[in-house]
Amino acid sequence: MKNFFKIAAFTLVDQMKYKSFYVLLVISILFVLMIRGCYQGEYIVNGKQINNITLAWYVSKIVFQIIAVGMFIMVSMLSMKIFSKDEKDGSLILFLSRPVFRWQYVLGRIAGTWALCFVFMFLLHLTIFLTLWQKTGSPIPGYLTASLVCSINLLFVIVCVCFLSLFMPDFISAVFTMGILLVGFISDGGYQILNNEIAKSTVPSIANTNLALWRILYPKVFMVQAYADSIISQSRLSSMGPFHPMLNLSVFILLIMILLLLSFNKKEI
Amino acid sequence: MITLDSVTKIFGTFTAVDNISYTIEDGDHFALLGPNGAGKTTIVRMLLDFIKPTSGKISINGVPVSDPESRKQVGYLAEQHLIPPYLSGFKYLMRHASLIGLSGKNAVLEVDRVLEMVAMKGEEKQKSVTYSKGMKQRIGIAAAILGHPKLLILDEPVAGLDPIGIREVRKILENLYDKGITVILNSHLLSEVEKTCKTAAIMHKGKILVRDSINSIVKDGETLEDVFIKYIENENEKLF
Repeated sequence: MKNFFKIAAFTLVDQMKYKSFYVLLVISILFVLMIRGCYQGEYIVNGKQINNITLAWYVSKIVFQIIAVGMFIMVSMLSMKIFSKDEKDGSLILFLSRPVFRWQYVLGRIAGTWALCFVFMFLLHLTIFLTLWQKTGSPIPGYLTASLVCSINLLFVIVCVCFLSLFMPDFISAVFTMGILLVGFISDGGYQILNNEIAKSTVPSIANTNLALWRILYPKVFMVQAYADSIISQSRLSSMGPFHPMLNLSVFILLIMILLLLSFNKKEI
Repeated sequence: MITLDSVTKIFGTFTAVDNISYTIEDGDHFALLGPNGAGKTTIVRMLLDFIKPTSGKISINGVPVSDPESRKQVGYLAEQHLIPPYLSGFKYLMRHASLIGLSGKNAVLEVDRVLEMVAMKGEEKQKSVTYSKGMKQRIGIAAAILGHPKLLILDEPVAGLDPIGIREVRKILENLYDKGITVILNSHLLSEVEKTCKTAAIMHKGKILVRDSINSIVKDGETLEDVFIKYIENENEKLF
C-alpha cells in the first residue's frame, strides 16, 4: 500500500512541475474573477428587475457547470498520456523494476492525477464561492459540497481515458471519452429538459415516455452534474431510472477500473 | 538462485524462447550471449515480469517472478536506459531509494554512496536532459546498485557508448563483481564478457546451444568470439 501512496505523490509532484499547470490555474482563476462583474448590474427579465443576490446565484450556478466541462477536457488531456509518457521516458521501468505491484502503479497514477484535478477544480469553485460571499454577504450553501460531488465525474473521465489509451492512440482515447460524455449529455440533458416543471405542464404526456434501457444504464455524468446543481439549488433531482447517478457512476468506475487493471496486468513492457 | 523451468515465450507465431531450463547459482557472473533475436532480452524481461512466459516457471530465490517481492533484492539496468527528462539524477535515484523502502537520511546517504561509485558526484543535481549517454548509463548503474542488491541484471550495459564510456562502465562493473553479487549480463561485447563473467550461455533462435563456465567453453588458443561464431555458424548450417 505504501508504494501506491508514493506513486500517487510522485504523480502530483511531476504534474505540478510543469509551468503550464500554474499558467492554466492562474488564467482560470482570472477568468472566474473577471466574470464577477456579472454579479452586479441591472437585469430585467419579463419586465421584473432581478436583484443582485438572485443574479449572482444564477451566474455562479452557470459558471459552476462551465468549470466542470472545462475540467473534463483538461482531465482527459492529462490522463491520455499517463501510460504512454511513462513508457517513453523510463518511468514505467523505474516503478515496475522495483517491488511494486502493477495495480499499485496504475492506481497510484490515477489517484495522483485525480487529486491534482480535483484540487484544481475545487480552487476554481472556491474562488467563486468566496467572491460571491464577498459580493452578496452570504455564502451559497452546498456549493463546495457540489464541487466534491463533481469530483466523481473527474475520476470517471480519468479511468475511462486510461483504459481506452491501452487500446487506442492517446488523443483518440480522449476524444472517445468526450464522445461518451456527449451522448450522456444529450440523453440525460434531454430527459432533464422534458422533466422540468414548465415542460411537464405544457405537454404532460412527454414526461411519461418510456425510456430505453441503455439510457437508464448509461454512465450518468450529466446526471451527477445535475445532482450537484440540485445540491446548490436545494431542489429535488428528477433521477432517471431506479439508481442514483452517483451509484451508477461508481459502478461504472469500479467496472472500468477492474478491466483496466486486468488489461494492464497482461500488458507487455 | 535463479531458476528457469521449461520456459517458453511465443509472440504470435514467433518462438522467442523455446523450452529453456537452467539455474544460476548465487554469486555467479552469468553472461547471456547470442545474435540479435536469440531471445536474451526476452529472458531478461521475463525475469523482471515485464512479460509473462507462455509456459514454464521462473523464480528468484524461490519466489515466482510474478510476485514483486522477487524484485526486492534485484537491480536492473535496461538496454536503453531512460531517465525522465524532468528529473535530476539525484531525484531519479531518490525515487528508486523510496521504492525499495529507504527514506530520509538513509536514502540520501545511499544515493550519495552510489553516486560516488559511478563518479557522478557533483553532477547529480542537473536535469537528466543535460546528461550525455554515458552519464545516463552511469546513473542507470547507480540505480541498479542502490540498496545493495543481491542480483544485478544488466541488459547491454555498454551498448551505444563510445570507447571512453565503455571503459568507465567496465571499471564500475569490475568493482561490483568483487562484491559477491550475482550478475546476469546480456551483452554483444564478447571481449567484455570474457573479462568479467564466470559462466555463459550461448543462445540462438530461443534455444541454449551451450551453457558452461567460460574456461570450459573457450579452449586454448581460442577466444570467446571464435567459439560464439563457431556455434552460431554450425547452427545456421544445420538449418540450411
